[in-house]
Amino acid sequence: MSQSFAARAADLLDQDAAILAALEDACSGLTGTDPKGLFEAVQCELFIGASEADIARSMALAARAQIEREPNYSYVAARLLLQQLYSQLSERPVSLRQADTVYREQWQRYLEVGIAAGRLSPDLQRFDLERLGAALRPERDLQFQLLGLQTLVDRYLIRVDGRPIELPQFLWMRVAMGLALNEEQANEWAIRFYEQLSSLRFVASTPTLFNAGTCYPQLSSCFLTTIGDDLGQIFKAIRDNALLSKWAGGLGNDWSRVRALGAHIHGTNGQSLGIVPFLKVANDTAIAVNQGGKRQGAVCAYLETWHYDIEEFLDLRKNTGDERRRTHDMHTANWIPDLFLQRVEANSHWTLFSPDEVPDLHELYGAAFAHRYVEYERKAEAGEIKLWRRVSALDLWRKMITRLFETGHPWITFKDPCNIRSPQDHVGVVHSSNLCTEITLNTSDDETAVCNLGSINLVAHMRAGQLDREQLAETVRIAIRMLDNVIDINLYPTPEARNANLRHRPIGLGLMGLQDALHLQKLSFASERALEFSDEVMELISYHAILASSELAAERGAYSSYKGSKWDRGLLPIDTIELLERERGQAVEMDRTIRLDWQPVRESIARHGMRNSNLMAIAPTATIANIAGVSQSCEPDYTNLYVKSNLSGDFTYLNSFLVRELQALGLWDEQMLSELKYYDGSIQVIERIPPELRERFRTAFELAPVWLIESASRRQKWIDMSQSLNLYVLEPNGRALSELYLLAWRKGLKTTYYLRARAATQIEKSTLDINRFGIQPRWMKSQSASQQIRVERPETSAGQLCSLDDPDCEACQ
Amino acid sequence: MHSRIETSAKRLLNCLHVDVNQLMPIKYHWAWEHYLNGCANHWMPTEVSMAQDITLWKSNKLSDDERLVIMRNLGFFATAESLVGNNIVLAIFRQITNAECRQYLLRQAFEEAVHTHTFLYIVDSLGLDEREVFNMYHEIPAIARKDAFEMRLTESLLDPNFSTESEEGVRQLVRNLIGFYVIMEGIFFYSGFVMMLSFHRRNQMTGVGEQFQYILRDESVHLNFGIDLINGIKAEHPTIWTPEFQREVIEMIDEAVELEVAYAEDCLPRGVLGLRSDMFRQYVGYIADRRLERIGLKARYHTPNPFPWMSETIDLTKEKNFFETRVNEYQAAASLQWD
Repeated sequence: MSQSFAARAADLLDQDAAILAALEDACSGLTGTDPKGLFEAVQCELFIGASEADIARSMALAARAQIEREPNYSYVAARLLLQQLYSQLSERPVSLRQADTVYREQWQRYLEVGIAAGRLSPDLQRFDLERLGAALRPERDLQFQLLGLQTLVDRYLIRVDGRPIELPQFLWMRVAMGLALNEEQANEWAIRFYEQLSSLRFVASTPTLFNAGTCYPQLSSCFLTTIGDDLGQIFKAIRDNALLSKWAGGLGNDWSRVRALGAHIHGTNGQSLGIVPFLKVANDTAIAVNQGGKRQGAVCAYLETWHYDIEEFLDLRKNTGDERRRTHDMHTANWIPDLFLQRVEANSHWTLFSPDEVPDLHELYGAAFAHRYVEYERKAEAGEIKLWRRVSALDLWRKMITRLFETGHPWITFKDPCNIRSPQDHVGVVHSSNLCTEITLNTSDDETAVCNLGSINLVAHMRAGQLDREQLAETVRIAIRMLDNVIDINLYPTPEARNANLRHRPIGLGLMGLQDALHLQKLSFASERALEFSDEVMELISYHAILASSELAAERGAYSSYKGSKWDRGLLPIDTIELLERERGQAVEMDRTIRLDWQPVRESIARHGMRNSNLMAIAPTATIANIAGVSQSCEPDYTNLYVKSNLSGDFTYLNSFLVRELQALGLWDEQMLSELKYYDGSIQVIERIPPELRERFRTAFELAPVWLIESASRRQKWIDMSQSLNLYVLEPNGRALSELYLLAWRKGLKTTYYLRARAATQIEKSTLDINRFGIQPRWMKSQSASQQIRVERPETSAGQLCSLDDPDCEACQ
Repeated sequence: MHSRIETSAKRLLNCLHVDVNQLMPIKYHWAWEHYLNGCANHWMPTEVSMAQDITLWKSNKLSDDERLVIMRNLGFFATAESLVGNNIVLAIFRQITNAECRQYLLRQAFEEAVHTHTFLYIVDSLGLDEREVFNMYHEIPAIARKDAFEMRLTESLLDPNFSTESEEGVRQLVRNLIGFYVIMEGIFFYSGFVMMLSFHRRNQMTGVGEQFQYILRDESVHLNFGIDLINGIKAEHPTIWTPEFQREVIEMIDEAVELEVAYAEDCLPRGVLGLRSDMFRQYVGYIADRRLERIGLKARYHTPNPFPWMSETIDLTKEKNFFETRVNEYQAAASLQWD
């Protein structure tokens, strides 16, 4: 297409004006942002023949590059994306200032198009759409920072023919409507649910956000199955994995019942190859069925520690050895009985069995398990067991720890507390946890455990550095209702899932934003006060969750297997710690403080029963925390400046709490940023920063792990299921690692999740003046001749830079 | 009778009196540390999924310009790693008369093999024409010229009469070391890294991007070893570092910068988003300055880094979502110490 030079120049000028206007809108109201600076950066990025899409990307990339200097640019980048989204839906360029108009215009259209395309459920039309439309709050779109909005756009907003038809507030309303479908006062509840979601006080789980209000309402996050010991059952389980996985569920499979390598097969008179070849099939199934194209099928295989195949199981994720006996894409976890750890501490022996010869071991726990295990050991010694092996418990434990360090797997989970403290011990056994190690529900051949999740955003309940307890209580009660509603609306991929969920009605309410809530109170994660906060918050959530479920039982009836449950026996989670102590035969080092008066809760349960068999679990919230823009679950800051790497790409995360405090002290400058990068987001050795501040902004790797464990232990007092607890280790010391996990066990934790480590070295950093810090890289311990080289730099206002290896250096004297 | 080794008698070059078969006692602890770090960073390309890359490559979503950038870089790296490996084994190894340094060189050579394997894996996965990719270093002039620069340096050391006993011999070796560590691995590789990581930054070709991140992690150790070795040789043979030789080294680096800029122009005739060849002049100058300073010369180019997004892609520690990619921040089991 030919155009005169003047016409093209005019076009470019118009384009420039539009670009600048969009940048100004996006920066509006955000301190520290500079639209003109962005404009210049955009000019640098553009090239001959750049399209509208290229320009939009350029603007976004220019804003992103600034995030590491000024956190508000994350909002700028989000708003640029928002503007694109509005324009895309409106099919014409619109500005952010037209948000209300866009929403008004698009609401009915969104529903019509979505329903016609078979994406949205026609049931949504039963609502009073005008009333609900009027309840939408477009300004809440401005709460998102880049990662949150990008995530929504890439994966959550409904698309037709690859193009989004949904806007963020529509998404919240769709989910609200989807959960209110069976309510008598559907419109009122839809609006109340919308308020919770759009204000980010409560965020439902990813599958709920994906599918509520659509034609395929599979809303549950987690499935747990137990695999039986014959070919038919194994392949049924694998097929079930595929079906469950297809609908965005995460899976936990218990393999402990499947016989081991060398065990006898009656029918063919042959020998089994054990669980590993079948695990490989499960692994490959997970890849093949990639969660509707949205997430790779995610599966975790659990194995109890006495299983004869345990050592091969530990090797599944190594990057050497026979590939046919590796499962690089599946997660693994150890299901460890208390007895094993007692044997480890006593440096005693341990015996491995094939489950076909000891079928009841997996169904027993606590003292009964220990008793039976010892019986089987005697039988083995007496020659009555065909396949068995004696090993050193300590050696096996060390191998478990070493593999965990080397490959991040298998995770460490504790069988006995999961069962002994379970409310549902009267109707089954917990055979494993789930993909993320926070769910502990019974499984059997007829029942696949299912859990519907959602998380309370603690940050949204902080006012002026204090927890708003009333609001938290209200959010909890509405959340419990939303989660209970899921159970009846849910599409169950298998009959076993349906049976289990309708019978027991378990739900999993969790939390996120704990670290941010601590920052808002200016508390260090490593402090008594922080532990108390964890304890108090969890007690409060637990209190109101149980009360709400009981009151729902008054309204809707108790769950069908209520009779005989711990709830029925008057045992709340806090009451079950002493049960664990009794079974374990030793003290459980858990705090027992109770701050609230639980009598009203006990009375309500006695009167009405419970609507749900299980109520609480702290999920990892990896993605929903990103959406809400808060720290994940109960995790500490990973570090203060880092990149979150996931399917949507890489996103710079800069701790805005830290930046604001440094800005207030006049310390936030290029040099500080450089040092922050050089030290990988740690501020511990940055002299300019006051020690008090350094203490409060310790990163995950700088916190003594005992704090994480104690914090989790306090919460575990109140939770009827478990928590996805990550641990962080810097120094590769096996003994310390072993003690850490033994401590976790002694402190009454039920499960742990990832062990995060660091690589031995790093890629040379490219965007800071690294030579200034020294010719040898930071991780080198031994000096070389390169130490002799000094580079010239003008002295900075901070004075002489510290030369770490020079004993005569004045900087630290 | 051979007497036992005195640590102080060990030398990097011309060390005829100390048995190079005996690793211990170690004198150059930095070399041993580099070796351990290399081992701890062990990885295999086959751990990384190429599923997203394959889907993207087979679709029509990549422009011709984008494909050109990718192909050129695969063509350059596929054989460059072999050039480095061959140089280590045929040229350098013999001349470095020190056990712990040789220990590292063996590890580095292995890592070059893993890197070459990476390109086989990528070519295979994407279904590329392997003969086209691996012959590119003959067929594309900009690549051929870079490699010719390097191969000249290797050849000069292959002469059976070559020895480091003379000052000029030492200089010739140092030219080779600078040519390979500072220039090939330190400059020629880095602009290629930027190009490939720019795709990763846009969440494209993420399998290739991840493998490049592993390679870049290895290269950072190679670079540091090379610099320590060069500086170590300079310290033991101070007379070689004359003003004329320094000027020569600077000229070598200047020439290398020009070759690299020409290569960038060849890869990016029209620019693809965020990458234009004129930005590479700034970038290569920025990198060259760092390398110059690290061998005791002064910065010359004084250009800024025009790719601030490299911060996100490689500078900042990554917290990866385990479900969506493979976390690579682990160490080999042997690194775990049990007291």
